[in-house]
Amino acid sequence: MEISKERNNNDRDNREGLKGWLNPSRYGWERLSYWLQRLTGVFLIVYFIGHVYETSSLTRGLDAWNAMLQLTQTPWGHLFLILVIGTSTFHSSNGIRLIFTHAGKGLGRPGRPDYPYDAISLNYRQRSGIWVALILAAVAMLYGTSVLFGGK
Amino acid sequence: MTLRESQIMKIHYITGLAALFVVAVHIIMRLIMPFNTSLEYGNVIANYHNILYAILLESILILIALHGFNGVRIILIELRQNKHWENGVTIFTIIAMITIVAYGTRTIIMANGLGFE
Repeated sequence: MEISKERNNNDRDNREGLKGWLNPSRYGWERLSYWLQRLTGVFLIVYFIGHVYETSSLTRGLDAWNAMLQLTQTPWGHLFLILVIGTSTFHSSNGIRLIFTHAGKGLGRPGRPDYPYDAISLNYRQRSGIWVALILAAVAMLYGTSVLFGGK
Repeated sequence: MTLRESQIMKIHYITGLAALFVVAVHIIMRLIMPFNTSLEYGNVIANYHNILYAILLESILILIALHGFNGVRIILIELRQNKHWENGVTIFTIIAMITIVAYGTRTIIMANGLGFE
């Protein structure tokens, strides 16, 4: 009861709100990865909702399905799908890195904070993980392009 | 029953990894034949009539709804912290999760032939 009361008294909004959340510039690579993980996640959940709605046209028969395909199977629709492929690949591979990081793997040993106070936890393993996620996303997008525009 | 955040994060990670696996199978099913052919009405309905594939689609639906809406909940709670906001966000995400799973399940059941044809 006391804890809950104290918590209510200390309630306050995040001072920067959405503006602070959307600013990836101040905290280095880890922040950029944090920002991309959330942006791709939001994009993918919006796509997921749209995809569930899109496929529901199946239940209205052949004409409704073909009408939906005419809307989505266009060059713009394919470009959108390539973006989905890239974001989902980045989100998955960076997500796996985050699972390891959350479990304490790949963080290195704690050390004394010395000037210029670079985060010791953001070592080459973490940086490489972020790069691997970005490269895998680019490769997946290239493969998606070859399938969607290459007529395979 | 209240889950601790650490338990919710475990669920978040497990659903994420499981979703990665089932979505990979879902994409492979689109690539075993030319992409445009795989999207033809007859082919898609045939996929839904395969009970194993229907189960796979249902599991994708549940896993991504759980993972995705929990992700939205985490983002919204990071933006602002107070008891009413946190409770409101949790209720909103649970309702959204149930709605999308129910709507997607309806499609799977109808396209599977149980309520369609």
